[in-house]
Amino acid sequence: MRLLLSSIDEIVDGDSRGFDPGATGRDTMFVVRQGSTLHAYLNACPHIDGAPMAWRKDAYLSGDRRHIVCHAHGARFDIASGRCVLGPCQDQALTPVPIQALPSGRIALATEPFNEATL
Amino acid sequence: MNIIGPDALVFGVDDVAACSRYLTDYGLQPVGVTSAGGRFEAVDGTAIVLAREDDPALPQGLGTASRLRKTIYGVADQATLEAIARELGRDREVKSLPDGSIESVDDMGFTLGFQVTLRRPLKPRAEKINSPGSTPQRDVNQLAVNEDADCSPLTLSHVVYFVPDEAKAAAFYTERLGFRVTDHLGGAGPFLRPQGTLDHHTLFLIQTPPQMKGVEHFTFHVAGPTALMQAGFRFVGKGYESFWGPGRHRMGSNWFWYFNSPLGCHVEYDADMDLHDDHWTGREVPMSPDASQLFLFQHREKWAPGGPPPGGVDAGHH
Repeated sequence: MRLLLSSIDEIVDGDSRGFDPGATGRDTMFVVRQGSTLHAYLNACPHIDGAPMAWRKDAYLSGDRRHIVCHAHGARFDIASGRCVLGPCQDQALTPVPIQALPSGRIALATEPFNEATL
Repeated sequence: MNIIGPDALVFGVDDVAACSRYLTDYGLQPVGVTSAGGRFEAVDGTAIVLAREDDPALPQGLGTASRLRKTIYGVADQATLEAIARELGRDREVKSLPDGSIESVDDMGFTLGFQVTLRRPLKPRAEKINSPGSTPQRDVNQLAVNEDADCSPLTLSHVVYFVPDEAKAAAFYTERLGFRVTDHLGGAGPFLRPQGTLDHHTLFLIQTPPQMKGVEHFTFHVAGPTALMQAGFRFVGKGYESFWGPGRHRMGSNWFWYFNSPLGCHVEYDADMDLHDDHWTGREVPMSPDASQLFLFQHREKWAPGGPPPGGVDAGHH
């Protein structure tokens, strides 16, 4: 498992990026950056178990970048809460992935406090 | 009624530029495309039409996440068009549009158009195969593999709707427009064939909760299984997200490869579908993964058998 995903500078502000921390060959999670705030979810639409959501590499958002969209059937999700606001899985939610932005600007996948100095 | 099949599907989208790039990379030809949308044509002139979602000229949406605004059927002749107008005019509004087509709605609220078909004749381009025991189809010294082969979508094959009442939805197409039910997938719905084609289906209906009403996917026929594999492989190579396939369906026997899209539905490549006429007895098959596909492959990075890469200590990594 790759604990360090990326640097925040590698995600365009207002946009999304997919990651494959388990080296499965496909992106299993994605991060949306809004300024210094990051939202991370599994790349799995609640409508169909495990359905990948992007329409091309890293493209998880609507045209106006205000919603996460599953590009299988167009379900729209609130970026901050992950809740489906329109579509097949209305009122269900994406599965959040715990991440931390480290002081260096790097983004770590972590379920417990992460000490950058020990890396 | 001599309805041939869908000539065009009209979408109202939130990102015309992304959808335009997607449909062009899929293999359709942009015709008169601007930042406000336009047509994306297959070889025979059947098309996907894009417009901005707030374009006032678009028919109303379905009130769900679906972006499909209209399905335009091609019919054989003016007499068929008039017969449809008379039949639907019995209980609903039928508009006559300036381009000579007519517009109405089905019983689920999907906007339908009908026009004398714009399809252009296709030249033969079937895949030629050599099979032991059969006369070879390719000349001696003629190669099958061509890295640069034209794998263009040839013709709009079918569209699949999510509907809240498949029985009522199907009755409209069979009783009012003369479609035949080729087969029925229990727990999903019917495969429907209009009278102007022998294709196993041009419309498939899937029963879903009402909030899903809309289009599940559309697809164009390509020339054959190799063209499907090659087109899909190129599409993956351009970064597009494979959803399901490549594989071969049981019902219809068509090869398939589905992709996610910015149009809010799946977009498929399709090849080699069964043909049926009115002598066919429809099958009733319960829905299951086995009923849905004869076989399925998943795409992976191009790979060749061999030893580990030089110095690749973790080449055995799984």
